[in-house]
Parts: sequence; C-alpha cells; structure tokens
Amino acid sequence: MKRTMLLVRSNIRKAKGQTVAIIMLILLSSIMMNLWLMLSTDYMKNFERSHTKVNDGHVTIAAYTNEETFREFVTDMLSGSDEVTEFSVRDALCMPGSFSYGGGEIMASLVILEKDTALCADVGKAELTEESDLSSGIYLPMLYGSGDNYSVGDTIQLALGSETLEYTVCGFFNSPMMGSHNCGVTMMLLTEDKFRALSEGNAAYPSTCISLRLTDRTKSEEMKTLLLDGMAEAFPDVMFVSDSYEEVSESRYISSMICAGILSVMAFLVLLIGVVVISSNVANTIQDQMQNLGALKAVGYRSGQLVSSFVMQFVVISVLAAVIGCALSYCIFPAVSGMMVSQTGIPYQIRVLPVPFFATIGFVFSVVALTVLLSAKKIKKIEPITAIRQGVATHHFKKNAVPLDLTRLPLHAALAMKTASSGLKQNITIGITMLVLSLIIVFSGLMFENMIMDMQPFVDMFVGESADSCIDVNVSRESEFLSAMKTDSRVEKMHLHTNVNVQHLGGSLLPGIIYDDFSKFNNQNIVIEGRFPKYDNEVAIAAKYARENGLKVGDEIVLKAEGNEQTYLITGLTQLTSYLGKDCAMTREGYERIGTLSNASYYIDLTEDTDIDDFNSEVSGRFGNDINTALNIQAILEGSGGVYVALATVIVTAILFVSGIIVVFVMYLLVRTVLNGKKRDYGILKALGYTTGQLILQTALSFMPAVILSAAVGITVCAQIINPLTALFFSGVGIVKCTFTVPLMFNIFAGIGLVLFAFAAACLMSLRIKKIAPRALISGE
Amino acid sequence: MKYRRFLGIVVLVFVAEIAALIFFMNRNVDDRQDVVSVNEALRSVQADFDEMERHQNVTALDYTVLDKDGAVLFQTAAGLSGNINEAVIHRDTVLDIERDGAVVGKMIIHNDASQMRDDHRRRIAAVFIFASIVQCGCLVGYLFYINRHVKKPFRKLERFAENVAGGNLDIPLEMDRQNLFGAFTESFDIMRSELKKARFAEARANASKKELIAQLSHDIRTPVSSILAASEVGAATTDNEKDRQNYMHIIHKADQIGTLVTNLFSATLEELQQLAVEPADMESGELTGMLLDADYFHYSELPPVPDCLIFADKVRLQQVFDNLFSNSYKYANTKIDVAIAVTEAYLTVRIEDHGGGVLAEELPRLKEKYRRGSNSNKMEGAGLGLYISDCFMKEMQGELVIENGADGLAATVRIPLSGSVRFKEFLRNA
Amino acid sequence: MKEALIKTERLSKSFSNGGAMQHVLKNIDLTIYKGDFTVIMGASGAGKSTLLYALSGMDTPTLGKITVGEADISDFNSDQLAVFRKEHCGFVFQQIYLLDTMSVLDNVLAAGLLVSSEKKALVSRAKELFAAVGISEETQRKFPTQISGGEAQRVGIVRALINSPEILFADEPTGALNSKSGLDVLDTLTRFHEAGQSVVMVTHDMRSARRGNRILYIQDGVVMGECDLGKYKANDKARHEKLSAFLVEMGW
Repeated sequence: MKRTMLLVRSNIRKAKGQTVAIIMLILLSSIMMNLWLMLSTDYMKNFERSHTKVNDGHVTIAAYTNEETFREFVTDMLSGSDEVTEFSVRDALCMPGSFSYGGGEIMASLVILEKDTALCADVGKAELTEESDLSSGIYLPMLYGSGDNYSVGDTIQLALGSETLEYTVCGFFNSPMMGSHNCGVTMMLLTEDKFRALSEGNAAYPSTCISLRLTDRTKSEEMKTLLLDGMAEAFPDVMFVSDSYEEVSESRYISSMICAGILSVMAFLVLLIGVVVISSNVANTIQDQMQNLGALKAVGYRSGQLVSSFVMQFVVISVLAAVIGCALSYCIFPAVSGMMVSQTGIPYQIRVLPVPFFATIGFVFSVVALTVLLSAKKIKKIEPITAIRQGVATHHFKKNAVPLDLTRLPLHAALAMKTASSGLKQNITIGITMLVLSLIIVFSGLMFENMIMDMQPFVDMFVGESADSCIDVNVSRESEFLSAMKTDSRVEKMHLHTNVNVQHLGGSLLPGIIYDDFSKFNNQNIVIEGRFPKYDNEVAIAAKYARENGLKVGDEIVLKAEGNEQTYLITGLTQLTSYLGKDCAMTREGYERIGTLSNASYYIDLTEDTDIDDFNSEVSGRFGNDINTALNIQAILEGSGGVYVALATVIVTAILFVSGIIVVFVMYLLVRTVLNGKKRDYGILKALGYTTGQLILQTALSFMPAVILSAAVGITVCAQIINPLTALFFSGVGIVKCTFTVPLMFNIFAGIGLVLFAFAAACLMSLRIKKIAPRALISGE
Repeated sequence: MKYRRFLGIVVLVFVAEIAALIFFMNRNVDDRQDVVSVNEALRSVQADFDEMERHQNVTALDYTVLDKDGAVLFQTAAGLSGNINEAVIHRDTVLDIERDGAVVGKMIIHNDASQMRDDHRRRIAAVFIFASIVQCGCLVGYLFYINRHVKKPFRKLERFAENVAGGNLDIPLEMDRQNLFGAFTESFDIMRSELKKARFAEARANASKKELIAQLSHDIRTPVSSILAASEVGAATTDNEKDRQNYMHIIHKADQIGTLVTNLFSATLEELQQLAVEPADMESGELTGMLLDADYFHYSELPPVPDCLIFADKVRLQQVFDNLFSNSYKYANTKIDVAIAVTEAYLTVRIEDHGGGVLAEELPRLKEKYRRGSNSNKMEGAGLGLYISDCFMKEMQGELVIENGADGLAATVRIPLSGSVRFKEFLRNA
Repeated sequence: MKEALIKTERLSKSFSNGGAMQHVLKNIDLTIYKGDFTVIMGASGAGKSTLLYALSGMDTPTLGKITVGEADISDFNSDQLAVFRKEHCGFVFQQIYLLDTMSVLDNVLAAGLLVSSEKKALVSRAKELFAAVGISEETQRKFPTQISGGEAQRVGIVRALINSPEILFADEPTGALNSKSGLDVLDTLTRFHEAGQSVVMVTHDMRSARRGNRILYIQDGVVMGECDLGKYKANDKARHEKLSAFLVEMGW
C-alpha cells in the first residue's frame, strides 16, 4: 500500500497540469450531475411537500354557478364517494382573464376567492408568502412576484371579459394546485371589499370552487373525469374548469425537467471527455514510463500493484474533485433554484441531499476506476527486460504519409500532417471531444435559431397553432360574425379553433380541438404520423396518449360527448403540449355527430399594420354579449414564452461557456502530450533553424485534420439527429417528433469558429515550445 | 494479442451476418391494409358516386367501383378485379357504398400483398449476396495478413542470419512486435547483441589490465614500510655487526623507496594552507559589487566593467580592494578615481586618489614587509597591508603596481584573464 | 591572408550547476577562417562542444562577442539565432539526430525547404549529395531506424549540407559509429572540405583530428594551443608526427 502511494505521488507530481485539467473536468461534470440529481429527485418532491403542507386538493373544479342545488348535488356526490377523504366547497368568482406578465400577456382561467376564505379553508387553502399592511387590493400567486414582474404596492390590470379592473398588489401566496397559469385553474385572492365589489358587478361569474382530497392520489385524473362527467350530465349548462394532481405536478415542473435534462446531458458529455482524457493520459504515461515500469517490474512489483497505482492516482483525484464539485453545486443551487422558482412558482428550501451526493460520487468513482483499469491493462504485457532495454517502439513504419518531395502542401503544413498521421490516440481524443462539442453547438444553434432569435418555431412546436386574435362567439350569431369577418379587409385568414372535451370510452377525458378545415392549419408539422382528419368519422389523437394506450393509426376508438357515442377512425397522431400529450382533433362535422357547439372560437390572422387589441375591442363592441372572449394571442405567447426564452438563453450561454473551457483543457492535455513525446524532435528542428513560431504553427496545425474532420462530421451528423434528440428531450411534455429548422449558416460558422478556437487554444498552449532549447542536444558535456 | 482480436472480428462479422439474415427473414412484411386510405377512398367515392366519370383517385390505392347491379363504374387501373367473385379469389377488400343509409354499390380495394412479398424476397437475396461479399473480403484479408506477418518475417530472418554469419553484428534485426514471430525474432536479436557485447567486453578487459598495473605501484608503499619496520627491529636486536650493516643497508634502501613514493604523494599542504589563495574563474561583473563594498564612503564613481572572465580568489581580491580603499581614506581622504580596462592578459583596475602621492624614493619600498610611508606617523597600522595585497595578487598570477599619478597615489590591480598566457602557465603547473 | 568567417572576442560561457557557477569557456579569442577544416580537440569536459555550439549560434554566450561577417550574433534572440542557423550553418551531431518519424529524404528536405522553396532544385541537390555520400535511392525512402549508423550519419551530413551552408559544424561525428562507418564519414567530410567547404569539427579522437588542417586544443575552457597541418599532404607521415608532437606538448 505504501509503495503504491509512493508511485501515485510521483505520477501526480510528474503531470501536474494534466491532473489539474482532469480535476476541472470531473469537477464540472460532478457539479452538473449533482445538480441534475437534486433537481430531478428532491426538487420534484418539493411539490408534494408543498401540497401536503397546505392540505391542498387532489382535484380542483371551478363551476361557473353558485346555485344551491348544484352545491347540494356536489356535496352529496362527494360525501357518497369512498375515494374522497375530505373536500371543501367555497364561494368564488370565475372568469377567463388576462394580465401582463414576462413582457407579454398571460391568459388564464381565473378563480377569484376572498382572501380570508382562501386562507382558512380545510382543503386547498392558500399560504401567504409575502404580506403587507395594504388592506384593499389583490393577492397574486408568488410566481408573478418573481423577477421584475409585480411587487407589493404595484397596480395590476386584470382584463376580465370586456372589463378591465385595476387592483393594488397587497401580497403573494403559494398554492400548489392553483398557483400558476400552467395549471388549469389560476387562483387570485381579493380583500373583502374588493371581492364584494366584484361580485356585485358583471365582470365575473359567481361560482363555486371545489377542492377534494383522495385516498389514492394517482387516481386524480380518473376521478376528475368521473366527477366532471357526473356534473355535466346533471347540469349541462354549467361551464367547468378543473385540474388534477397528476396534471399540475407535471406541468409546473416542465422547465425544471428541461433544465435537469440539459444538465444531465452536459454532465455525461463532460464526464465522457474526462474519461477520454484520463484514458489517453494513462496510455501516454505508460508509454513515457515504459522503462520505469519495466524497472519496477524487474525489482518485484506485480502488475496488479502498478495498475492499482494508476487506479489509485486517478480515482483519488477524481473522487476528490467530485466531492468538491458536489459541494460547489450546493453553492450554485440557490441560483438555479431561484431561476426555477421563477418558473414553477413554488418556494423551495435548499436541503442537503445525501442520495444524489453518493450517487454522483459513486458514479464518478466507478466510471473512472473502470476507465483506468481498462486503459492500464497494457501494463500486464510489459516484459521487464524488453522495456528496460529499449522502451517500446513509438512509431510503426507503415508508410510515409506525406512525402515531402511529392507533396504540394507548404512545408509546415506537410510536417504537421506527418505528426497528425502518426498520433492515432490523440486523433481519437480530438475526435470524441469535437463530436461532443458539435452536438452542443448544434443544439445551441437550434435553440438560438428557433427560440432566442425567433420564438415562432418553438411556439409552433409547443402550442401547435397560433394566430393574432382569438374571438369566441355564440353559435347563435356565428353566421353573422363570419360574414362580417369575411368582408373585413383587416382579416387575412380565419378558421375555427374551438376547444371541447370528449371522453374516450375505456380511456381518459380528451380535450379536443374542433377545426373546420385542417388543410388550412398553419402548422401541419404537429401531425407526426398519418394525417389530419378529413371526414366526419375521423379523429387525430395525441401521439403520447396513443403510445401509452397502444393505439395506432388505422385503429378505431369510441368517443363520447353529451351522452352520445360514436366510433371514429384514427387517421393521425399529433403532438401538442398544451394538454401534456393528451388531446384529440376532429372536424366540426365529426364532433357534431356526438355533440353540438354552443359557442365557436375563431383564430384570426390580421394584416401587418392592424392593432390586435383595437380590433378585438371593436369586434367585441359590435357583437356585445355574444362575443364571449376576444384574446390577443401574440401578447399571450410573448408572456408565457418569454420565460422559456430567458431560460434557453441562460442555458445556451452556459453550455457554450463550458464548451470553451473544454476545448482549452483538451488542447492543453494534447499539446502537453505531444510536446513531451517530441521534445527531442523539436530540439533537432530548432537546431536546423526552425523558429519557435514555426514550430507552434506546426503543432497547432497537426491537430487540425482531426479537429476539422471531426467537427465537420460531428456537425453534419448532429444536424441530422438533433431533431429526434430534442424530441427525446421534450418527450415528457408530449413531443414525439421535432421539426425545428437546423440553422445551416449558424452551424457552418459555429463549426469554423470551433476550429479556429481550437487552433488558437492549441497555439496558446504550444507556447511552451519556446522553452525547448537546442542546447539540450549537446553531447557529452 | 492481435491474433485473438482478428479472430474476434471474424466471429463478430459472422454473428452480424447471421443476425442480419435472421432479422430480414423474420421481419414481418407490413401487409395490412391502410385503413385510413381506404376510409378516404370510400368517402371520396361516396361523395362522387353520382358522377363517377368525374371521380379522381385521391389515394395511392387501386380500386374498382361497382354499382348495385355489379356493373363497373370506375377502375383506377386495368387488370383489377371486375366483380365480387374475382375479388374473393384475389383476397381483395370489398366494401359497401352507402348513401343516406342505403347501399348503392360496392367498392373492391385491390390486394397488393403478393407484390410486397416479392420485394421482401428480393431484399433477403440482396442481404445474402452482401454477406457473401463480406465473407470473401475477410478471406482475402486473412491471406494478405498471413503473407505479411508470416512469410515476410521469415524472409527477413534469412537475411539477418546471413549478416550474422558474415560477422557483421551491427545490423539489428528489424522487429515488428505485431507479427506472430515477434518474441521469436527478438531472441535472435538478443543473441546478436550479446555476441556484440562479448566482443566489447574483451576489449575492455585488455584496457583494465594496464590500469591494474598502475594501481599496483601505488600499493607498493605498504609492504615497503613493513620491510623498513622489520629491518629496524632486526638491526636493533642483532649482535652481529655484519648483519647489522646489512640491515642498515636494507633500511637505507627501503627508506629511499619510501621517500620516493612519499614524494609522489605528499605535498606541502600545510605551507599552502596558511594564507591560501585559491583563484577561480569568475565573471568580471562581480567586481562592481566588490568595489562598491570596499568603497563604503562612495568616494569614487565606478565605471562600467568590461565583460570578461577573470581568474581570481574572490575573498582575497576583496581584501586587496578593501586595503587599497582604506589606505586612501586614511592617508588622502579625497575623491577617488577608478578606471577599469581590459588588455590582452589582464583586467586592470586603477584606483587613484587626489592626496598628492608619496615621495618618489619611498615608492619602491611601499610593498615591503613592515614598511610604512613617511606620512604615516600618526596613523595606526603595522605596514603589512600592501605587502599582503601584493602577495595575494602574485598568487593569483596578477600584479599590484603602486605609483604616483598626476594628483595622488595610484594603485593598479592587474587581475589575469582566464585563459591568458599566465593562466595557462598556472594550469600547466597545477 | 585567409578570410575570417567567425570571430570571437573574450567569449565565455557559464552554466549554473545547482547554484555553483561552472565556467566552461573562458575569454576565448578565436578566428575561424574560410576554407579551413578546423578541428577542436580536447579531453571530454574541456568545453569543445560548448565552443562549437556557441560558434554556431546554437547557444548564446554568457559573456563576450561573436561576430559572423558583420553581424554580432551574441545579441540575437532565439528566433534570430534560428534564422541565422538555417541560413549559415549546417550541423552534424554525434547522436546523428535524424527525425524518426520521417523518411531519410524527408529529413533532408525538412531542412532544405526551410530555406528554399524551389522544391525541384532542392530535390535534385539532395539526390546529388546522396550520391556523393553513397546513399542509394532505396535507402532514401527508408526511415532512420531502418538504416545503419554509418548511413544515418552520412544522411546527417547531407542534411547539414543541403542549404550550402558557409560552415559545416560537426560534433563528434564518428562518436557513435564503428570504425569502418566512422572512416566513411570522415572521408566524406574530407571530400567536401577539399571541394571548398569550411568545416568546424569537434573530436577527441586523433584519427579524426588528423583530417583537419588547423587543430585547436582546448583544455578547461581555454584554447591551449593550435597547430597547422595545412602544409602536409593528407597521407604524409609527417602530418601524423606533427599532430602527435603537438598533442604530447598539450598534455594529451
């Protein structure tokens, strides 16, 4: 053991720089890995903790009615159920409303409660996170208090239907089930005076807010469907909005899941590079020290001891680095958590988590140990005598790769090619590194092009269809509305886009999109297999839902609405994220086989210079109460998408920064290895009259074939596979297939940039050549 | 081991081929009817049923439309089933065409499964051919490998053996550890190098014999002293005068040998050690520091020291400078001019004060032992400074010259350059 | 009067050896003349190689001046020295120092192409030189580890001469060779000298030294003496005797 430690120490001392580089790579990797594990384990559980703390409901339903008969019906139904443990029924005011947030506008189904009622309910109470002595105004979910959105004392303009109300923000609260526009229902609290004023007005419907807890929370989705079905049957005229534990727990963590996903990919990639570096390092050390190792064997060290000295060396540093990395990740976690809270809107208390810590350490340990064991296997083959006698031939004379008398390359390039062609190991290291970096770059390019520069592709991907304005009109005046729109010069394009709910017999409640003509759908890409429905017996369903239920294109399913059942043929699979991969699309004729539309939403594209808000208010004014809602979709998209764009920007910046560091490290290690191996050659070349600059150029150039080739291959291949990879990444939210445009020019320039950066790094690292003096060649003195 | 890897690759190729074949053989041809297209075809036919002559096929299917009586209304291509019987034989799909709930005709969707099966068969054949080509490639590769790693090394070995037989032991056997005979050929090369070593060892043995003789002569001293001691005892104890004279003779001769040997090895070490001057090479630049040290009142302005290598004892030279400067402080106490120049053989440092100098007749005797100048009455001192300094400089193969300059007494210290004539003499004597 | 190529003025070279200064060259005033085959002799450790490397701009002197033509190369930085070396000097090393990763021909061209971009002319000059030292076409395609030491050293000479340097510096060129190969190398050097090439060679081998027309003897970093063999014919017995006498006088 003592002997082994001696070897370890001498090895480390001989390669300080490499040790530092390996430490940095492992450090980076373990920071990200630990963050990822913390995010994906405890951070998710945080919702559950928060949920339990306020005794929140597993199902929340808001009904647009406050009739006593309804409430009695609900109370009976819930008390009679074995599944329901407790519930609360509260007075509320409901209305879809919009307000500005994140630079745009947010549209949400608002459930407005009186503050004190909300705070002391048995089930589904709100928990104040920030209070003030303002006594008249509104309390918002804490999500809207993050960043530079709202703070206490600000005024919020709430657009409810056609009215716009102004409130002073008095504080913020936390509500797991109703604390975000990502939930189906968004809660807001008003102080008593304001609540009374609103109930007396017409802006919002007097409603009932029902929260209930279940014995088995995994059945929340099922239970919600069941209850809604029952209520809709008994009260067909009442409108309902709802959410369930399953839906909310998933949707509130989309961004942290994405973030965790990216972290995990980065962590593995960096670790991969670390592993490549370690293995080439081991191989080089063995090569360099062949004679020493032979001598050690000759004096009686066993192969196992020598191998274990290597293993010890790297494992000790790696585990140390991993421990430090984990510790550092706790320093970074508050920042990450802060960013996440602004996305999830649920407060998080940072805690020490032993499981991710040990998992990270254990993983790093086993990967490093395995790598070293495999790469140090060569030691077993060293024959002491051969090794001492002559070391091991470093060059095989296969053939002269670049004969100087025939090549047309300039001298330095030709010499660089000679070096490049003789270093297979270094080329492999470069290759793997560059492939990984290409992936990172292509991904950044994708994010940059499709999200940061222009949000539209991203919106198309996640929202499916967008337009400028969405106007919901009662069916009674639909034809009048249509003819008015047709003659309106500001309208460029218009189509039906109404949301309904249908029940899949033997499956879930599926929110459905009703469309008049799917061939006019702006974003045809959301159908990833098959086609949109065309005839009245056809339906397209969400790909994720289809996969989970074993449905294929060509299968028939039975759909039910308003008590009627009909059989439909599945013609296509879609991906829309609004309902987390659980929805369907059908034509109007198709839906009318089972139900009737009471109101119709139209998506309207307006000419460039039309002000959307003006248009909306004008149309609303013209049709009065028959217009249910008129939304500015662009503003809403900006509001909810802006947050994701900000997140993407942070991620892209971070990963590009990490790539830069990786390039520098890897170049450092490679140059070091080359310089160690070719010290004598460089001495000779210097003696012949090569200047330091020329040799630096040669060294840097010698990496370039591998760099250029692997960057080109990497970027080409990654550009092909990035869409499926991204889809895999977002599969949690219902994405099965991505059709983002891969920015060609960006990739080309990024590739060139990467090559140039690698070249610059190699040049910089090669400055050590300056220290090699031809004097070292002097004989005998 | 390369052989094992090669075998592994061959096995891997085999497994891959078999896997590919099994995969292609067992792959189910998806010969199910495309329901969605069928639905579309049916719907489009139903819509157009009244004017079938204007009907356009919107799908990729082939089908026939029959009216209620079995007459063909529409066919997407020639050669499709024309009636229900043919359709049954051909396993085609037969559907009812309904309008307003009543059946108005039949639609026969063409069954193209046999076409698909043919394609499938062709694909399997292609895979098989490809696999065979890979096999051939492996075989050719193996033959090539055998030639390169078995036949060629043997030929090389032949040439090597010829060389060794011809006595040329310098040409190594080119070894390729990769080939099968790596270890084998290596032992041949070890044999060659051992032979070469043996030759070299023989030559060395001859040389070391001469060394041995030289060493033996040194060892003579010990037995000589034994002889001396024994003879002295003999001379003291014998009564016989003749014997004693013989003993005395032996003692005398042994003494002579002893002296000769001692002369060789003993040196007048003690004498040298008293005021040892051990000059060595040093860079002239170091003089600056030494002069600054000596001139602690900063009476002088130091000129730049020309670069060269001088031969001096640093400690003694410092003493010389100290002495010269303190003399000047004592007797003249004026500003001091220092000039440094390099000549052929010396680096000269001339230190001159402005104190008017000494009487001309006193000059030659200043450097003598216990001699002091006439103006030294009031000053303490033994008159040894310049004498010792002069000795030091002589020991260093240099000189100290004292003379009257234009304004005062001038001392010129001549330090020999390393490599100068006097230095070479010193080297030869040493 | 012979034309001076290199002139040194109180050239000194010191190395720091674990704190203690080691003075290897001491105030050397020396002139190397054009057309001479100058041999620097001395016991090992006397400073002959250090002198050679200082003269050739491979290393900078600690003190003193070295002038080559008009230029004072003692003030040059390492890149200026590199340019100086490639333009004026050729080197033959005791350990030969061919680059193992390049073929014999490429080794020569790697030096040649640095100075001249006329590849064709260069290749034909290389072939001429190879022919002159007796290196076959086949050997030119081989790698340094595949040829014998003698061949390698002759390749080394070709490499040194490819740029037609003013001076050829040879550091114990026969040191690592057996006597037969050594003789070949010496013959080669002599031939080039007779053709007008200025050569400066370091050796501690008398047989090699006899090839020179001017012998410098170095001891402890000082040129102890020199001896002119120019007036004797190559195979003259007197040449050998004169050299022996000189070496005895020098304490060889």
